[in-house]
Amino acid sequence: MRPYSPFAVFLTQVKSNGGWCSDSERVSNQTHKADLTGLLNRNIKEVMAAHPAVGEVLQAAQIGCATCAAGNCLFKDIVEIHALSPEQETTLLRRVAETVYPGQPVDLPGLQRKTLTRTGAHKFAPPLQELVDEHKVIKRVLALIPQFTCALGSPLNTQEQQMLYAIVDFVRNFADRFHHAKEEDLLFKYFDPGAAILVAMHEEHELGRAHIRSALDGIERGDTTCVRKHLTAYRELLTEHIRKEDDILYPWMERQLTDAQIGRLFAQFREVDAKFGDRPAGYRTWVGTLETKYNNTARKET
Amino acid sequence: MEGCPGSRMMDLRKEQGAAAPVATGSLESQLAQWPIQLHLINPQAPYYQNADVLLAADCVAFALGNFHSAHLKGKSIAIACPKLDEGQEIYVDKIKAWIDDAKINTLTVMIMQVPCCGGLLALAQEAAQKATRKVPIKCVVVGLRGDILEESWV
Repeated sequence: MRPYSPFAVFLTQVKSNGGWCSDSERVSNQTHKADLTGLLNRNIKEVMAAHPAVGEVLQAAQIGCATCAAGNCLFKDIVEIHALSPEQETTLLRRVAETVYPGQPVDLPGLQRKTLTRTGAHKFAPPLQELVDEHKVIKRVLALIPQFTCALGSPLNTQEQQMLYAIVDFVRNFADRFHHAKEEDLLFKYFDPGAAILVAMHEEHELGRAHIRSALDGIERGDTTCVRKHLTAYRELLTEHIRKEDDILYPWMERQLTDAQIGRLFAQFREVDAKFGDRPAGYRTWVGTLETKYNNTARKET
Repeated sequence: MEGCPGSRMMDLRKEQGAAAPVATGSLESQLAQWPIQLHLINPQAPYYQNADVLLAADCVAFALGNFHSAHLKGKSIAIACPKLDEGQEIYVDKIKAWIDDAKINTLTVMIMQVPCCGGLLALAQEAAQKATRKVPIKCVVVGLRGDILEESWV
């Protein structure tokens, strides 16, 4: 069951109150009435373009919209999707109001929430936990990229090219085909494809694929600069992307899914596992080998 | 306080008197099968096939005010008491049969907060380990005052 969110109640109250001001304040501020409702219904990129300080307010609340590649989520959806505590939500909205409408008094309605939905360590429903566990494997490879791009010669030698091909193969077959076969092709299908958060995630997946295509082009040409540039960009993009999925998207999705849907998703994931056979396990072993090799190299260098 | 928390006497009347008014009128039952006791059920009955199954400790439905609407609706059920029931190895076999033969979709184990109730979850986990198929298992812990203390996938 979807937990009670005060946000819809809050929006209704804001609308019925005619804005953020109390009755007396509304009278004295007729010509400068704060219209936060309109702001909350705009996409976050537009809001931050018009009011750059809002990005800092969001950052302070650990909402990373300022670094998002897409930024097309509605402001109100961002507040809802992060499942802030009532105190955090009130603080955030007050700071936004103070930033956008400085000097105007703000009368926030009292918010009541039955439960705090963001609670530190969390064990996901099994299918979502699988995706989080696959992210851990991907992050282990991302963690090696700086070390290993720094060590590349220019132009690339054959051995370096072989290792780079292996990394591209991991990204394309484990991170993309295997992991995204579950995530994009199954999990995301349970949600409205037009939802801003999903559109943003799809765009980041495509951007990641574009970086890998460019890196592959660089490998084939022996172009070290190109390889470094695109693998580094891929690492930065995917590190932040995975953080968003683990900390924001999946908890939100889990709250929307029914038990029956969780069960169906789990069964569908088993079909994906059967289709890919022992190849994902092979990639996990390969990651361990890669870590051993580069950690040994690092130890020798220090 | 000493003694077993599962059988320790507690008078909750005063707290109930201070609670919100009780809903009146006829509420529709969400029970869609019979029997329900775990010794009596056939794990391969049609209503268990591909179902979302609720395995509830005997006391759970009495503790929760909204058991039918919030927890039983849409699910097939069996009830058992891990403290008092005998022949619990049969329970393990039946839960395993749900998973492997009836190919249930999910299993939700609802137990009371008292320590002995944890035995029901342990039975479900033992059965799941013995089963060939895997299914998501959720544990819901109910407080003596009818509140949900914990809800987690195991």
